[in-house]
Amino acid sequence: MSGAIVRARGITKRFGDHVAVDGIDVDIMEGEIMGFLGPNGAGKTTTMRMLTTLSQPTSGEIEVDGRRISGSSDPVKESIGIIQQHTALDRDVSVLENIRYHAMLHRMSRREADERIAELTELMGLTPYLDRLAINLSGGWKRRVAIVCAIIHRPRILFLDEPTAGLDTQSRHMLWDLIRQLNSEGTTIFITTHYMDEAEELCDRVAIIDHGRIVREGTPAELCRSIGQWAVEYRSEGRKSYRYFTERDDARSFLDSLPPDVPTVSRATNLEDVFLELTGRETVATEEVSYKI
Amino acid sequence: MSLIADSVRVSWIDMCFIRRNIPSILVTCLVAPLLYLVAFGYGLGKGMTVDGFPYIAFMIPGVMALTTLTSSFNTVATKVMVQRVYYQSFDELILCSMSPTAIALGKAYAGAVRGVISCMILYILGLAICPEMSLSLWVPVLVVVSSMVYSLLGVVSGMLANSNLTLTLFTSLVIMPMTFLCGTLFSLDAMPPAVSAVIGVLPLTHTTECMRAAVLGTAFPWVSLAVMLVYGVAFLLVARYVIERGKS
Repeated sequence: MSGAIVRARGITKRFGDHVAVDGIDVDIMEGEIMGFLGPNGAGKTTTMRMLTTLSQPTSGEIEVDGRRISGSSDPVKESIGIIQQHTALDRDVSVLENIRYHAMLHRMSRREADERIAELTELMGLTPYLDRLAINLSGGWKRRVAIVCAIIHRPRILFLDEPTAGLDTQSRHMLWDLIRQLNSEGTTIFITTHYMDEAEELCDRVAIIDHGRIVREGTPAELCRSIGQWAVEYRSEGRKSYRYFTERDDARSFLDSLPPDVPTVSRATNLEDVFLELTGRETVATEEVSYKI
Repeated sequence: MSLIADSVRVSWIDMCFIRRNIPSILVTCLVAPLLYLVAFGYGLGKGMTVDGFPYIAFMIPGVMALTTLTSSFNTVATKVMVQRVYYQSFDELILCSMSPTAIALGKAYAGAVRGVISCMILYILGLAICPEMSLSLWVPVLVVVSSMVYSLLGVVSGMLANSNLTLTLFTSLVIMPMTFLCGTLFSLDAMPPAVSAVIGVLPLTHTTECMRAAVLGTAFPWVSLAVMLVYGVAFLLVARYVIERGKS
């Protein structure tokens, strides 16, 4: 990994009185897979929209590939690919027309586009479906088309907003394999998710965001160590409780101190523990941010 | 040149849609103007003369003008609103490095194509049934200009509407009154001066004036053409602004 390919400093986004993102710093290092983990409404999507030029920060600065993001026709955009949470396809035209359209929007020549379309549709298993209307594809296949559209111009950084939300297991694993493959070919990946297994499976580095602020950042192993590597689950007053320990012996001693009739589980700490410790275990109703266009 | 090339790239997917659905598009484009023609032209207006012309000859250029408005506006406004609010595929345009002007023009082309198709069919039909109408090269020029003006208005509305309901509201309050009041189906001389002054400001009034002059061979209202062009530039600037502002 080399330097930061995306560098954001003090970015804030307000929607009226609501502060969606509150002065965060983000560095995405070239060649890494970085994950943004947070509960619903934490500010993940808003941050990603700012990093991808879809939304302007209320304050703060963003540099992509050494260049400050400025206007709407910014050349920075040619370095970026984005797969949004919703599958943004024109459903009334064919799969091939959707893909070719993206090649045209990135000003690719006809020959270059044809070669790239053949390569990517083969890779994604889309070749038999090229003439189908996008509306007639299932969710997983629509997502595959969206992926091809997002990477057709060989972006240096690929942003994925909860890419596996709503997908079946096969499609999730296919997508994970693809993300790893793209990363191994040199594409930097930024992914937002609230699936712990996804973050653990894919990410070199994870930032946990809550209430618009980054509450902790590091490799999955570092994050687990930050609360203690050993977890003990036990029942207390009718609900599940958790304690975390740096030393395994301390976890054993704690287990021994519990009454023998209390059900317990002792295990290694995982990202879900870190996430719940840092963001709380209560669910809160969040307001959907509506993006004005 | 790169602005035009970029705007053509932006419009490509909407053109694919038109190509795929041309029969149903033709039917939907022509039903309303043909109904106007039959109901008002042959029903109410038979035997009437207006400004020295048979009513049908007076009315056809008006229906052509209102067709450029409704056909172009509805196509673009609905498409942009749906792509932005429901499909969210409009984000892809914001994400590529096309300028807001290229996006505004590109999204307008599909509406202009539909406006031109339906209006030119009406013109050809009018030439066949109405000897007072003349073949003029001005007509296709005016049809293209007018369709682009109202398509750009469609871009603005599609960008501002946050649901089908708000778009329908705009259509009911602005577009529908214009189609009836701007001298399309009757002469504005019959209107009270105050109402006539208000109607005189609306763009469709000027489109109708130009279209009628070109089709019937009367003195061409150059001022009206200038007003249409000013509206076109204004709609383009507003469209550019709302697309730029889209990065909320």
